[in-house]
This record gives sequence, structure tokens and C-alpha cells, in this order.
Amino acid sequence: MNKFKKHGVNICFSLIVVGLAVMPLLLIGNVVDAPLIIFLGKCMAFSIVAIGLDLIWGHTGILSLGHGLYFALGGYGMAMYLKLQATHGAITEFMHTGGLTELPDVWKPFQSLPLTILLILVVPVLAAYMIGYFIFKNRVKGVYFSIISQALTWAVYSVFIALSPITNGNVGITEISSITGKIRGPTGQNNLIILFYGSLAILALVYALAVFLVKTKFGKLLIAIRDGENRTYFSGYCVSRYKTFVYVLSAAIAGIAGAVFVNFNGSITPSQMTIAGSINMVIWVAIGGRGTILGAVIGALLINLCEYNLSSGGMIEIWQYIVGGIFCITILFFKGGVVGLFTDQIPALMKKAKGGKSDAPIG
Amino acid sequence: MAQFLNTVFNGLSLSSIILLTSLGLAITFGLMRVINMAHGEFVMIGAYMTYLTQRIFMAALPGSLFSMYYFAAIPIAFVVTFLLGSFMEWAVISRLYGREIDSLLATCGISLVLQQAARHIFGAQGVNVTTPKFLSGGITIGGCTFSYNRLFIMLFVALILFAMWFVIYRSNFGKQMRAVMQNRPMAQCMGINSRKADNLTFGIGSGLAGLAGCSVALLGSIDAGVGQNYIVNSFMAVVLGGVGKLLGTVLGSSIIGFSGITAESFTSSSIAKAIVLLIIILFLQKRPQGLFTIRSRSLDE
Repeated sequence: MNKFKKHGVNICFSLIVVGLAVMPLLLIGNVVDAPLIIFLGKCMAFSIVAIGLDLIWGHTGILSLGHGLYFALGGYGMAMYLKLQATHGAITEFMHTGGLTELPDVWKPFQSLPLTILLILVVPVLAAYMIGYFIFKNRVKGVYFSIISQALTWAVYSVFIALSPITNGNVGITEISSITGKIRGPTGQNNLIILFYGSLAILALVYALAVFLVKTKFGKLLIAIRDGENRTYFSGYCVSRYKTFVYVLSAAIAGIAGAVFVNFNGSITPSQMTIAGSINMVIWVAIGGRGTILGAVIGALLINLCEYNLSSGGMIEIWQYIVGGIFCITILFFKGGVVGLFTDQIPALMKKAKGGKSDAPIG
Repeated sequence: MAQFLNTVFNGLSLSSIILLTSLGLAITFGLMRVINMAHGEFVMIGAYMTYLTQRIFMAALPGSLFSMYYFAAIPIAFVVTFLLGSFMEWAVISRLYGREIDSLLATCGISLVLQQAARHIFGAQGVNVTTPKFLSGGITIGGCTFSYNRLFIMLFVALILFAMWFVIYRSNFGKQMRAVMQNRPMAQCMGINSRKADNLTFGIGSGLAGLAGCSVALLGSIDAGVGQNYIVNSFMAVVLGGVGKLLGTVLGSSIIGFSGITAESFTSSSIAKAIVLLIIILFLQKRPQGLFTIRSRSLDE
């Protein structure tokens, strides 16, 4: 029992991984259909970005309302590579329309896969480092950081829309297949399965990395920063450096998530970068349970699966009421989210019930 | 010359619109330190209230009185958003004082619900408000046209600003409000009902958002997301001006408005928006507290 308590979170995650791993087998057995698998793939991408968000928000207490930015940066990187694969390195339709005659320089590195993968990591990391270094060094914190990150995302979003010959504006980069080839339709089933397991491996790796980091002294420091930033400063730690590092790390994770997402989604639009998109990510983490890496995964899977199931009926109308309401209630009364419900609230209730019984004969 | 006049007028006009939407925030965020992410939705509700009043006037009153609907819409929008804000403070915000980030998130959830409600009631399509007769058209001076409805918005902002200044700095209630925000336990010892002050303050902040909605309705079509267009600039205006100072907010929104218009004359409007925001973010690196700061020796001010 004690062992279960100690490793319960990891066991839970393993169960999720096993559950996901079974899905492609069900696809081969024709129990589930390909769209569900593709959707689960997107959910995994969302879980990955949620883990990154949990590292900075749940553990370090920095609420970023602009993580969609890094998600989209990674996504665009991947999409540019895939688009060039589809056109065999020629310039795209929308560039023609935009009046360009040859491939813009920004697109050129994305002709090779290794360089693309490198850039998917490097671009979000550099962007996050530039932002994080100055903001944290100047001790902008709390809600100010949230507002600034929101404004920044909004600014980049407008730039992406404005540079439509290069980014295809509002429409984004569409009509692309995945890194393993075509995944839609009956011919793409094998490609889809390979892609799915690859993404699952990435999810597991990111999870393992996050859990490992949180367990180390570094993780303890993050929590110290969250609970008492000034005390951490006075203890002789350079808080801003830690904050910048964890912010950059979570940006890199978001970039990876974006790249995974594009493979399954088959397109990327600037709407991934909007404030609403970034707030959605925060909602996943909050409902799943902040400060527990597992919570981020559960939240992202739970919310997206609910949305997927509800949107098939006429329920999409009321979905936003439900998610907004649950989010509010979680913030107000269940700070630990779903995970907190199982680790704190229910044990507390059980203890109370037990205590009540033992008290009864005396009273 | 005409070019210059035009730029100044457009700058003033944009600044006054940003100022109008950020005045409410200057109270809820500036004085109470509550980040109300649903502020944009209150603006949206104010705009829809204007639309509703117009519909009612159209149906119930003779055509000659139609233009008067706007004067009825202003108090209606204020009262509705005031009550809604006050209810929200009682139901949600009051439980989250001292947890700034949580109150930000809770109001985010509320904003989702309000947006969906607006879509449910009024449909996803935008609706339009007919500009009252006395506000259509404009005057032409020195080769450029000043439209009446923009002039009206400037006048409106000036009036609201004066009223706010009077309430905050000259009235008895304002004194109590400032006392509560500056030193809550001491204010309570003096017999001020701090719960009531909180509630009224938040209500007034929300009511101002409703007033902003009235003038936003004149500028274009209204849909569920209309508030979102203004919210980023308004927050930046308050942060840039320095939290807790009315003058700071005025200056902050003028800077954003004028620099936006100036940048727009060089590039496209969306790039201009981005440039302005980036410059402000850079400026905030230099002075994280904004232009005007309340001097304090506390560590976390």
C-alpha cells in the first residue's frame, strides 16, 4: 500500500501509456476508426505542451498566457518542412499569390529533416531565452508576467497574419502529410501507427524528464521559488537564472508538442497562437491538477476527449459553458484539480469518515 | 498640414477609445489588484445593451424619438454591467483576494462562459447599431474631416474621467475606497465596511467597461469577441502607466494610441500594433513598474 502511494502517480501514467498503446492494435482489429487515433495523437501533443506548462506554472509559479506562441513556432517549423516535402522543394501556391518568385530565406533551412528538427528546438528556445532573460532579470513577476506574455503572443500573432506571403496569413500552412507519409485514408494506416507510437515515445520521454527534474534539487528550488521568491533570493540563489532556464525548457517542450501536433493535424494555422488557445492550455493543467506532472497529462486528455465526444452531437454549443464553469470551480474550490481530488480531498474525506466512526461510541 | 491634423485627430481618437476601455481596469486592476480577464466581456455586454436599447426604442417609440435611444443606452449599460460586476465580485472574486493569479484564471473561465452566452442569445453573426442622427456626419476643418461620433467619444471620455476623478479623489466614498485599498486593517478599524467598499469598487470598474461598450458599439459591428480586440491594449495601457494612478492610465493609453497611429503611417496596421506592443514591453524592462509608481519600501510592490 505504501509502495502504491509512493509510486501511484507513475503507475497511473504507465496505465495511460498502456491504454494509448493498445489503441493502434484496436485500429488494426477494426474496433476503432482512424479519426479517433489521429485525434488521440493530437491529444498526446496537447499533453506534452501541458507538461511544459505545468513545469513553469505548477512548479515555479510563473503563469504564461502565451505558450501558444512556442507551440505554434514548433508547429510552423514542422509544417514548413512537410510542405516542402509535398512540393518537392518548389515554392508554394500561396507564395506565388503573394508575389514571391523564389523560396524565401526563412524557408530554406526547412528543406532538410535534421536541420528542421534542430530548428524546432532552437527557435522556441532562443525566443524564450530572449524574452525570459530580460523579463526575469528585471524581476517582472506574477500577473505582470502573464499580461506581458499575453501581449507578446498577440504581437507575434499579428505579425504572422501580416507576413502572409511567407506564412499564408490566416489560412496557415495546409495540405501537408505527416513525417511518416500519408496517414489519412486506408493506405495510410501503417504510417499512422508508426507515427502514433513515435509520438507516444516522445510523450513518455518528456514525462520522464519532467518527473526526474522535479525530483532533483533543481525541482525543489523551483517549488521554493514558487512559494517564497524573496526567501530564495536571500538564500543566495540566482532566482532569475532558474526561472529563465525552466521557462526556456518549457518553451522547447511546447515546440516539440507543436511539431507532433502538426503531423497529426495536417495543417497549422495562426489560431494556435491566439490568447484563447494559450488559455486553453492553462485550463488543461488547472483542471488536471497543477504541480503534479501527471495532472497536466490527465487534464489535456480528459478535456480534449470530452470535447471530442460532445462536439459530435449538438453539445458543442454548451461545451464552452461546461469548460468555463468547471475551470472556475476548480480554481475556487479544488486547487489540486483532478489529481488533487484523489490525493488530498478523497483521503481527507475518508479519514473524516473513519474518524467519525471511532468518535461515535464515545459521543 | 492636413496630414498632420489628421494624424493628431486619429491619434487622439484611438487613445480615447483605449483610455475608455482601460479606465475600468485602472480601478479593478490598479486599485484592487484584481486582473479581470472578463473585462473585455463587460465591454461586449455594454455594446449589446446599446443594441438592445436601440431595438426596444425602434419597436416601442415613434421614429422622431429614435435618436434619443443612445442617451437611454448609456445608463442602462452602466447599471447592467455594474450589477453583473458586483455579483461577480460577491460570488467569485471575494473568495480569491490575495491570490492574484487565481483570480485572473477564474475570471478567464467567466469570460468563456459570457462569450458563449452572448453567442447563444445574439447569434454568432455580428450585429450593428445605427448611429444616432446627431452623431452621423462630421465637420471639415482645414481639409480634413472630424467625424462627430469620434468627437463624441473624446468628449465622453473627458466627462467620465472628470466624474472618476471626482468620485475617487473628492468624494467621501472615494476616500473610503482608497483607504481600504491602501491599508485594509486600518480602514476597518476606522469603521469602514471593507467588504462593501470592495464590492462597490469592482462594480464601478465593471460599469465603466459597460460605458466603454456603448461607444465601442458606435465604431463597428458587435459580436461575442468584440471585447477581446481591446483587452490587450487596455491591460498594456494600465501596466505602462503604472498601476494605481489615474494619470498614468491616461498617459499610457495616449502613448499606445499615438504611437500606434504614427507607426501605422509607415507600415500596415497589424505590424504597427506589434511594433507598439514590442516597444512597450522593452520599455517595461527598463521600468517594470510603469511610468508612475507609488513609492513604497515594501519588497513586493
